[in-house]
Amino acid sequence: MSNMTPVKGKEQPGLRYPSNGKTIYHRPLNRAKTSELSQASFAYLFSEMVGYASKRIVSIQDLEKRLNTQGHPIGLKLLDLLLHREPARTQTRPLTIITLLHLIKQQLWTHLFGRAADGLEKSSDPTRPDEYMIIDNEPLVNRYISVPRDMSQLNCAAFVAGIIEGVCDGSAFPARVTAHSVGKQQAAPAAEGEEGGEGKEMWPGRTVFLVKFLPEVLERESFLAKG
Amino acid sequence: MSYYFAIVGTQDNPLFEHEFGTSKQGGDGMSRFNEAARHMNQFILHSSLDIVEEVQWGTGQMYLKHVDKFFNNYVSCYITAGNIKFLLLHQPMTPNSAAAASSRSSTSIAANPTSPQTEEAVRNFFVEVYENWVKTIMNPFYRVNMEVRSPVFRQRVAAAGRKYL
Amino acid sequence: MRLTASIRGKSVICEKKITKPSLAISPLPICLNTEDTNNIRRGVIALLIINKAGGLIYNRTFGEGLNQLNSNDYLVLAGTFHGVHAITARLNPLREHQAAHYYAQQQQQHHHSASGSIGAGSGGGQGGPLPSRPEPPSGLEVMETENFRLQCFNTQTGTKFLLFTDTMQANVDVAMRKVYELYADYVMKNPFYQLEMPVRCDMFDRKLNSYIREINNSR
Repeated sequence: MSNMTPVKGKEQPGLRYPSNGKTIYHRPLNRAKTSELSQASFAYLFSEMVGYASKRIVSIQDLEKRLNTQGHPIGLKLLDLLLHREPARTQTRPLTIITLLHLIKQQLWTHLFGRAADGLEKSSDPTRPDEYMIIDNEPLVNRYISVPRDMSQLNCAAFVAGIIEGVCDGSAFPARVTAHSVGKQQAAPAAEGEEGGEGKEMWPGRTVFLVKFLPEVLERESFLAKG
Repeated sequence: MSYYFAIVGTQDNPLFEHEFGTSKQGGDGMSRFNEAARHMNQFILHSSLDIVEEVQWGTGQMYLKHVDKFFNNYVSCYITAGNIKFLLLHQPMTPNSAAAASSRSSTSIAANPTSPQTEEAVRNFFVEVYENWVKTIMNPFYRVNMEVRSPVFRQRVAAAGRKYL
Repeated sequence: MRLTASIRGKSVICEKKITKPSLAISPLPICLNTEDTNNIRRGVIALLIINKAGGLIYNRTFGEGLNQLNSNDYLVLAGTFHGVHAITARLNPLREHQAAHYYAQQQQQHHHSASGSIGAGSGGGQGGPLPSRPEPPSGLEVMETENFRLQCFNTQTGTKFLLFTDTMQANVDVAMRKVYELYADYVMKNPFYQLEMPVRCDMFDRKLNSYIREINNSR
């Protein structure tokens, strides 16, 4: 292993190593199942991220777009990290929309939020076969956030939507993902009758992530299904 | 046996390349590509991308094994979740030198580019590179499709080559 | 200047913690409707939050049938309380003496513990405790009248929480702590809240309401 110690700076001018010689390559990729982060520190960090994103914005869409952009690279990176942590037997790339969305609902959500997402639905509108919905009753990022009345359109889970978009784009299923609050107006259309009414009372922060795949994805999907 | 390893991004853009030779059977780890044909390596790998893109939707596996052959050049591929392709071109020894060596290494990696042993060795090589690749992309300053310049990454790839190929 | 203005024309007698403080503030912020005999015991009646400059940033009453002030009077009340609080923090004839006593006690304790540890042979002291600063004077903490009890909690940053309860309410400290916790969570971690500005956070309102309802119903 002696040949793997970092070369000294003279060979690579401008490149610096940490003083202990441990680069990112020397650290393990796996983490203990129990390792946890402080939710309070995340809340403060996220609060600053939203504050940063709201500087000099012209519209709410603008702000959501910026939050989305902040999340996007995280999704791209998490995709490979999560697959790498899978046991070798189940280490497969998602090939269909359904497997991809399951990966997001299960692995990604568990990794980020410690639990699976609360729902995964296909759009009931037959004219929109490219739309899928991932439902989270209480997004962790919105835990402490109250959106002011004049920005009622805003849902800060746009950041999470960006992460989802990153995962979709990374695995060659390009999609646009947006976050929508449904707690106040109407519970998700698929929720059954009475349950729906209850749902909006119980989950005021209920958020639907609308995943809209680009046409080429559906085209490929139908082609693969035939072949 | 000579190897040419390349990492290709989602836009078919090269991110990393490395050339090395076998370290098994007393190899010295130096590549022995024919100088006149060496520039062809990049073209061969690039042309195999079309086949990779067909094969990748047939299986969810990351290791696509041996995907293409161009005369005496064999191409293996490993595709990451983020749609980054690891391509390895292996060129066994030229027929006459292979004949000379066949008596002692008929089952070796060098002589049989398509044998199960070779496949397994290449898989191990790719898996190790993949681990380091994931570490590379974990770098907060790394964005998708950026060229990898880290000397540590290069060392790690070279070490994996020495270890398995 | 502000202080004198805010207490002009009122007689203020305040003895912190020594006897029951009696403060004459008029008008009374919230009066129980004593006609309603069924609801005399109401638990937590109101919460006011005053920022460090003396401005009212949050004001909420819990339950119905309470006398309300108009919004301007609430602002005056907050400013007045802020001034009174500042005065009471300085009204302490014992301070110098107490501080000296406190230091003497500290020194003594330190001496004892040091010799004790040598005798026990453990000897793993951390170099003795730092000379701790005495607590800053807290000022007015509780105000009790015939109709209600006011508990004030002053945070490290000078934000004041005023909790109005009925005189029989127990465990106000616990309730105050929880209210502070909710404030720290749902106000301070909200990216849209600007410091020192009025609190308009739905989430805080919701959590506060459900908590107060819970303790009021449990009686």
